[in-house]
Amino acid sequence: MSKESRSAPRPAEPDQALALEMRPGILSDQLLLDPRPVGDMNRYIMEAMQRTGKGFWILVAILASLVLIGYGGAWGYQVRWGMGVAGIRRPVFWGLYIANFVFWIGISHSGTFISAVLRVFKAEFRRPITRGSEMMTTFSLIVAGLFPLIHLGRTWRFYWMIPYFNQRQLWPNFHSPLMWDMMAIFTYLTGSTLYLYLPLIPDMAMARNITTGWRKRVYGTLALGWRGSESEWHHLKTAIKIFAFVIMPVMFSVHTIVSWDFGMTLVEGWHSTIFGPYFVTGAIFSGVSAVITVLLIVRKTMKLDYFLRPEHFDALGKLILVFSFAWTYFWFAEFITEWYGGEPVISALIHMQARGPVAVLWYTMLFFNIVVPWSTLWNRRIRRSTTAMLLITIGINIGMYLERYIIVATFLTKGRMPFNWGIYNPSIVELLISIGALSLFALLYVVASRLIPLVPVWEVQEGQLSHSLRPIGRALVPSVVDLE
Amino acid sequence: MAKDTVLMGLFNKADHTANTVEALEKMGIADDDVAILSGIPYPAEILGRPLVWERIPVIALSGAVIGFLIGIFLVAGTPQLYPVHVGGQGLLPIPPLAVITYELTMLGIIVSTFLGVLWESFFPSYGPKRYDRLVTEGHIGILLRCTPEQVSLVKEVLKENGGHHIHTPERRPL
Repeated sequence: MSKESRSAPRPAEPDQALALEMRPGILSDQLLLDPRPVGDMNRYIMEAMQRTGKGFWILVAILASLVLIGYGGAWGYQVRWGMGVAGIRRPVFWGLYIANFVFWIGISHSGTFISAVLRVFKAEFRRPITRGSEMMTTFSLIVAGLFPLIHLGRTWRFYWMIPYFNQRQLWPNFHSPLMWDMMAIFTYLTGSTLYLYLPLIPDMAMARNITTGWRKRVYGTLALGWRGSESEWHHLKTAIKIFAFVIMPVMFSVHTIVSWDFGMTLVEGWHSTIFGPYFVTGAIFSGVSAVITVLLIVRKTMKLDYFLRPEHFDALGKLILVFSFAWTYFWFAEFITEWYGGEPVISALIHMQARGPVAVLWYTMLFFNIVVPWSTLWNRRIRRSTTAMLLITIGINIGMYLERYIIVATFLTKGRMPFNWGIYNPSIVELLISIGALSLFALLYVVASRLIPLVPVWEVQEGQLSHSLRPIGRALVPSVVDLE
Repeated sequence: MAKDTVLMGLFNKADHTANTVEALEKMGIADDDVAILSGIPYPAEILGRPLVWERIPVIALSGAVIGFLIGIFLVAGTPQLYPVHVGGQGLLPIPPLAVITYELTMLGIIVSTFLGVLWESFFPSYGPKRYDRLVTEGHIGILLRCTPEQVSLVKEVLKENGGHHIHTPERRPL
């Protein structure tokens, strides 16, 4: 470095024109370095929410019909005629319903992981995507929570699980993992719903201020009288911080307890000590993938390109690659231990997966969960391609769904007594309810996307305030100050 | 003298707001008589405001204790109400106790933290309030109480430091 340049005065606050001159393109690339007038950003979000064309209503009608067919038709039929209409029968008593339950609980890990974990670690790219992923958590938990009720058969007896005593002073059995499940899901659903709602309050106030009619009334009610005073912000930020730390262990506990539904049994293939971390890793893997899928669709249909940029999908792509590695590690650790043991029933199960009737599902699972992410997501261009990411993440969730199905439904086909072996084929009722569940999730999300600001505008604005470009040498480097 | 005059001014930048807060303090307006309204959270240090003691963590801790005790009651207490001995097992196995008390402790923290926000912020409160909608458009509002004698001086201070829309706000429905 020359003496002149060393002694040259350093610009204190580079303006945007200088930034563009030194590193063209950087401002348009990163959301937090590309601030727009606050009012424009508010209107941008509100207009996206109020845009409901013909296509939107057709989609709502289709989804609502599928929900009606699944829950009103197929579930109603099952309630009327009993569990015999489902494909579950001896020896497979846990089938598609429980596979769906595990899958949707897994999807629910998206919001917590992205919002809470990334918030705690101050990962700045999270800002525009937290709301969308928190909504996924709440809606997927609602969908997941319905499956134990469907699986009960006599659904109207569900209240037996509620912790209060019966007429003989007998309480539910809290020693049962199924009871732990209910407690964990209730805690997680309560926590994630409140965690979705709290950061929403300032955005509800924003929406209240710029809407009219019924929207203004609804947003005004949900804003609770928010004005944005120092004490309101202080309480809110403290509460969000507490929630972020508390919801993480709850998230881990939920899927761990779901895995214990299997691990606590003595069923071959299920009785495993690593099912907890294996399930949690798979849940985050599928959940984050589902967030990418949904955000890509939302970005396209609601024209949210300003907020949701390739940088976000790039960062999330790296995350799912890491979780693909982790999932593979747990899957292989489980697989090789079982395989090496050579226990006859386990050998029969592995043979069924590798060469038997489940082989197509098993290899498809490995292809989507290992081959596809490992061979693509190391590439930055692929991670920033919306089409590629859409296909990859849909593939991962197909793979993860198959994983849930294989664990739940096929492991039960071969028990310790070979005379009791059987096969399981889902019935049309189970399939219709599963399609109904997917449609219910999509319907809830589609409707909510027109009622709830999908991007936490104040969080983005806070992030933009704390980011700037700072000259170091001959480049302008993004810098961030900690405002918390 | 009664501080019955309320004034509000809007600012475009945090620096201007902080300068104004400092100037108001120098002219004798107490911290309690000043409130800042903003569309994004500014830490108290940035705006030169006093740090506020926060009670929500204590409320959350209280919720945790209540949740923990409920968990103990459900797992350890309810089997004693109607003892059912199964296969010689004890009525109080520790691992399930750990799981249920853990979940209910967490639930206690979650619910109490949420209720704490409502309690501490006086939510919901739907009555008319002094407010300016431009706050959600990126402006920072200073809302203050002063004596009628101070009004002209306060207005001057607000204006000198970049304040605009300086007015006496009416209480209106939000």
